[in-house]
Amino acid sequence: MTPFLEMRGVHKRYGGVVAADGADFSAERGEVHALLGPNGSGKSTLLKVLTGVVAPDAARVAIDGRPLSVRGPRDALRAGVAAVYQELSLVDELSVLDNLVLGVEPARRLGFLDRGRARAAARPALDRFAEAFGGRPPAEAPVRDLAPGERQLVEICKALVREPSILVLDEATASLRSGQVEVLLSVVRELADRGVLVVFTSHRLAEVQRISQRATIMRGGRTVATVPIPQTDEGELVRLMVGELAAPKREDRRGGPAERQVRLKVSNLAADRVHDVSFSVRAGEVLGVGGLQGQGQSELLATLFGVLRRRNGTVRVDGADVHASSPAQAVAAGFAYVPGNRATEGLLLRRPLVENLALPSLGRRSRLRLPLSRARELASAREAAVRVNARYGSLDEPAGSLSGGNQQKAVVGKWLPGRPRIVLMDDPLKGIDVGAKAELFDLVRGLAADGAAVVLSSSDDRELTEVCDRVLVMFEGRVTGELSGPELTEDALLASALQVHGNGP
Amino acid sequence: MTRPSALSAGPLRPLLGARMPTVATAVLLVATVAASAVLQDGFFTPYGLTSNFAAVLPVAIVTVGQVIVVLGGGIDLSIGTIVTLSSVVTVQLVAGQPDRLPLALGAGLLVGVGCGLVNGLAVAVVRLQPIVATFASSFVFAGLALLILPTPGGEVPSLVTLGYRQVIARAIPVPAVLLLLLWLAWRAVLAHRFGRHVYAVGGNEGAAYASAVPVTAVRLLSYVAGGTFAALAGFALLANSGSGDPFLGNSLTLTSIAALVIGGTRLSGGAGGAGGAIVGAVVLVLIQSLVFFARVPTTARELVTGAIIIVAIALAGLLTARGRGAGP
Repeated sequence: MTPFLEMRGVHKRYGGVVAADGADFSAERGEVHALLGPNGSGKSTLLKVLTGVVAPDAARVAIDGRPLSVRGPRDALRAGVAAVYQELSLVDELSVLDNLVLGVEPARRLGFLDRGRARAAARPALDRFAEAFGGRPPAEAPVRDLAPGERQLVEICKALVREPSILVLDEATASLRSGQVEVLLSVVRELADRGVLVVFTSHRLAEVQRISQRATIMRGGRTVATVPIPQTDEGELVRLMVGELAAPKREDRRGGPAERQVRLKVSNLAADRVHDVSFSVRAGEVLGVGGLQGQGQSELLATLFGVLRRRNGTVRVDGADVHASSPAQAVAAGFAYVPGNRATEGLLLRRPLVENLALPSLGRRSRLRLPLSRARELASAREAAVRVNARYGSLDEPAGSLSGGNQQKAVVGKWLPGRPRIVLMDDPLKGIDVGAKAELFDLVRGLAADGAAVVLSSSDDRELTEVCDRVLVMFEGRVTGELSGPELTEDALLASALQVHGNGP
Repeated sequence: MTRPSALSAGPLRPLLGARMPTVATAVLLVATVAASAVLQDGFFTPYGLTSNFAAVLPVAIVTVGQVIVVLGGGIDLSIGTIVTLSSVVTVQLVAGQPDRLPLALGAGLLVGVGCGLVNGLAVAVVRLQPIVATFASSFVFAGLALLILPTPGGEVPSLVTLGYRQVIARAIPVPAVLLLLLWLAWRAVLAHRFGRHVYAVGGNEGAAYASAVPVTAVRLLSYVAGGTFAALAGFALLANSGSGDPFLGNSLTLTSIAALVIGGTRLSGGAGGAGGAIVGAVVLVLIQSLVFFARVPTTARELVTGAIIIVAIALAGLLTARGRGAGP
């Protein structure tokens, strides 16, 4: 019997990097099929070939036994394929509704838009996710005004509006909170029951195990295995994904830095969406910032880094008052910042890796007004790349050619030559695979061990428990809880975030 | 008169009202109108209004064309020369005879569409950089115009020039009515799938492509629309001046870009709209005539006009930056 979806011999190279090297994939109607693999294993490439966003060098794709020639997203859409991408495909300036029907706008004669029918088409998806939006979804609001999790939900609704027979969810849960994930997973189940094939990728293996019937594992651009999920435990999946690499261990590294000096002391800090926040971090400590999504965590870090204007409060670094009103001043005071969105704020994707790695320390080396030394730039970039263990083809290749996890390592690596005293990280591990995550964990701990104070926000409670010494829980811009030592567990974090929610307005 | 606030009230508010620096544009409009009322004798008389609207209309039309191109993520540096080329073709064909008007106007419009098509193919299909491609094509269009009409001349039927300066019901100049039609035409673009796709392509090309928006076709059509509006602007210029000139519209390219920036359209595409841009065109034309009426010496006029325009653009930019919440 031929499978419903069959992809054979998918090849794709980007410059010198082989992304897919003869990958195969097949799946059945009504199935939730997980696609797993570490960074650069070719998952995203395989999915983009299916959705027509990437033109493969070679591939045979058939749906329901019919060979399919996909020359672009329009062909894929016509064949019933809709996708939720990891990098969102929303237009900021358009409203939620306009984004939902973008490309498939219902129209009257001569192509004039029919907003009534557009609303009707969007309604079921929006209603289904109303609970995840926390009330009525803002159909008329521009997407730019939405929080990251809400954008992700809009993206999912957008795929549903297309009524696909194959739905691709590429890291769709990465920026969602657990409540929102629950809604999504139940929708996925309903779709599968109705005969839709759902291809699901996620770095959260717990979700994969709950929702999928089978998983296909990729490594190095090839398909390694397809396994039935209920019979395969998490450890086995990780083993298949990382191959010879060991699975990340949960190490107990808590306690210790209590006697070291206070590196960063924040008192009564206030800014947009940050209210009266006080805390201190010692040298060598990793402080987590958790809570429900969009409770001011990003704003807190951006304020410390001088991106957002501080309205009130004091910030002391090693006892000295710091009032950074621009990132340049914050860097001078010893701050480094690893943003959540590496594509827009972390890296110059089109510029060579060497320039990216050398950028924050340019000022340091050109102080004598001498021209930049290419040799020194290369040497320091190479050193940084080695320290963060980034895998790349050449330092002269654009940063955008690296896989997601390696890009994120580069974002961390570029700060290393400047020896930052305080490292601010805004959800740096979002959408990064298990292997790279373990390495980034080590990197964060390494920064702390060298005497830096690390402040790390995350949308993933497990990350916080694994890497942090102490975690602040934020709600509506305020710090409403603090967990450390044996209290710091996933359950306790969730409870702390939600309990506040119960008492809130 | 169209005001951005009228646009931002409707159901399209999310599309238009959001980033449009309504306040800045409105302030500039009020300031220039007030200054004109003081310095320009008879500004609010039917005659004064007619001559001002007559001068505004061509600029406003080109600006709307440029807005469509810019919203789609491009720019058309040849748009002024398209105005010129289609106007000289029209004026040569009509040769002062009213019965040849349909033929001449049709040919002029076709020239505009054709020039837009050339630009669109170069940018959307051959994938040249918009600035370079349209800068190059501007020389071709300007050169063709010179071949067709080497020296100023040609006659526009008096029917057209007189009709253009008619006043309806003692108070409403014909060019004002045409300006209203221009705005309605923009509303039609907005209500059309094409308009939505232009915003999507200019706002996030990758997202538009992944959403099955026909990106190449949209980009191509945006230049065709630009060329079409340029041809219409050429007609308005002819009706206003009464004769042809091989340099008639060339300076409108940069005027149109300045007008849309004053009106709050983002040069990188995807945000803004023609409502504000039309107001921007009004502001620019009034600034130019203000400098004239303020008796600035001829030699200093360009300098003073330029300085005022820079201030206007800076004001629009400052107020826009204020209105926008800075993100992390």
